[in-house]
Amino acid sequence: MMTYIDYKNVVPKAVIGLVILMVVLVPVITRNESTLSILILSGIWAVAVMGFTLVLRAGQFSLGQAAFMAIGGYTSAILTVQMGWSFWPAFLLAGLVSGIVALLVGMVVLRVGGIYFSIITLALCEVVRIIAQQWESVTRGTRGLITSQPNPINLGFYEINFFASSVPYFYLTIGLVALTGLIFWRIGESRLGRSFAGVALNRVLAEHQGMYLMKYRVIAFTVAGVFTGLAGTLYAHFLTVLTPTMLGLWQSIQIMIMSIVGGIGSLVGGPIIGSVLLYTFGSYLTRLEIYGIQQLLFGAVVVLVLLFLPKGTGLVDLWGRFWTKVVWREKEFEFDEGEE
Amino acid sequence: MPPAGIWIDGLIQSCAYMTMAFGMVLVFSILGILNWTHGQFYMLGAFVVYYAITAVGIPFPLSLLVAGLLVAGLGMLVKKIIIDNITGELYVGATTMGLIFFFEGAASMVFGMQDKGLAMVLPGVLNLGSFSVSYQKIAVVSFTLVIMIILYIMLNYTKIGLAIRATAQQPDAASLYGVSVERLSLIVMGIGCGLAALAGGIIAPLYTISPFIGGIPMLMSLLAIVIGGIGSLTGAIVGGLILGFINCVLAYNLSYFSEVVLFVLVIIILLVRPQGLFGASLK
Repeated sequence: MMTYIDYKNVVPKAVIGLVILMVVLVPVITRNESTLSILILSGIWAVAVMGFTLVLRAGQFSLGQAAFMAIGGYTSAILTVQMGWSFWPAFLLAGLVSGIVALLVGMVVLRVGGIYFSIITLALCEVVRIIAQQWESVTRGTRGLITSQPNPINLGFYEINFFASSVPYFYLTIGLVALTGLIFWRIGESRLGRSFAGVALNRVLAEHQGMYLMKYRVIAFTVAGVFTGLAGTLYAHFLTVLTPTMLGLWQSIQIMIMSIVGGIGSLVGGPIIGSVLLYTFGSYLTRLEIYGIQQLLFGAVVVLVLLFLPKGTGLVDLWGRFWTKVVWREKEFEFDEGEE
Repeated sequence: MPPAGIWIDGLIQSCAYMTMAFGMVLVFSILGILNWTHGQFYMLGAFVVYYAITAVGIPFPLSLLVAGLLVAGLGMLVKKIIIDNITGELYVGATTMGLIFFFEGAASMVFGMQDKGLAMVLPGVLNLGSFSVSYQKIAVVSFTLVIMIILYIMLNYTKIGLAIRATAQQPDAASLYGVSVERLSLIVMGIGCGLAALAGGIIAPLYTISPFIGGIPMLMSLLAIVIGGIGSLTGAIVGGLILGFINCVLAYNLSYFSEVVLFVLVIIILLVRPQGLFGASLK
């Protein structure tokens, strides 16, 4: 029998691979700092948005994801600035601290469901912001902590210098996005990910199948907390300043909007598409020199995307539709629910 | 004990939160959605009152009415054009959050970013021995009482109130008995947004007006209805009073720490009674 290549499956994946390769090669093509910084920041947001989407996959709608970014960011900023640690251990410890906080908070808070959980996380987000604002001896309050980028690493034959350009930081961010994406993709494909979806889709049925609801919610929340904390660390050290208002309720809402516009059907593709497109769009809008027009257009785009995308499944769904409807010209298209 | 003025300020804030919270409760119980844009309708109401008084020269009570009607129309438009065409609670929530950006951007383009202040439209103070209260503050409190009474009468003794209560309990059964749920939800959206605008308008002379004033009242009235029980007007009153007084009276003693107390209180209430103080049990 001949080996059969399912080109309808392979070609779109090859195109995705090409796009990823192009993104990785961006520093070779251009060294424009503003392009790089937009890509770095949208990568950082992508990680946070993936965390949000994972929690949403387990059926909980968290409006406090920016709080975990703030916890991660502040942990590493305090460790490096006030205690003189180097970046790397602080980076890892920040993820750990954020994860532990998520675990402890989640064990208490996650048993409340629905809109009430959203409100609790919203309140937590504000509490974190107020603490960061008022605990002046440690966080320097509203003046903010002045962080720095990681020290240069000397590999002998080549020195990775984080101060000279954003390129090493770009690869660091890409690495974190890739690691998060890989882990979340594996979670989504695995038994665990299906359990998340099961718990979210029909809680009663899932419990009757012997699935312990809290276990899956806490796992999702903790994993999301770890990676969101790491993203927060990168955020704090890239912008070289961390003030309490940088990661508050507004940013949580932004994370939520990015996730939903990108598409919540997939754990990796949707968040990345949503955050890259919306962040890039938003940061180009700030160049228009009319007060308010950025927010106006941003809001309009969000509303239009949600109004006109098929079934409100987000931008990532356009990818499948593009290949089936436009390229292969298939008449019918079944929506695959759940899995990527 | 904080001085009496602080207690009065707490009452004023509670009144603003309560008036907004009524609108949110109505919208939630009929449409089944949380309208995150409510704070922006509050802001628009304040702006309409400001321009009606300064630019057009309409007297204050009339300009309040104009603000209520205009913003109610806007709310109905939003519901008709946008919310009706989106399915799913999650997507509607995200859309109304997107509309926050839209309205704030539009307001700062049209009205400018500077803070505006409305001179006291009701000058004079009432002397009560050891302290005095300005007529403006009395107007806010009595206005809220009037709104409460009107809502109470409307919900309990009119046909539309009966329809609203029926639809809140059982939308399908209500529509079987001849209630046009579609039209009713449009009207309720109008009432809700109009109430937000009235809250903004009546408070406007006391505070500054800018495109970004909507966020905090929105957050507070959201917390108020959530701790009160999300579909209950009594809950909205109690929640609004608790939050308004915490914001003012505790802040007098504890300064910033009162905010922590407020949010921790909300978290504890929700953990102990997830359905809110006056909400029906979910199970």
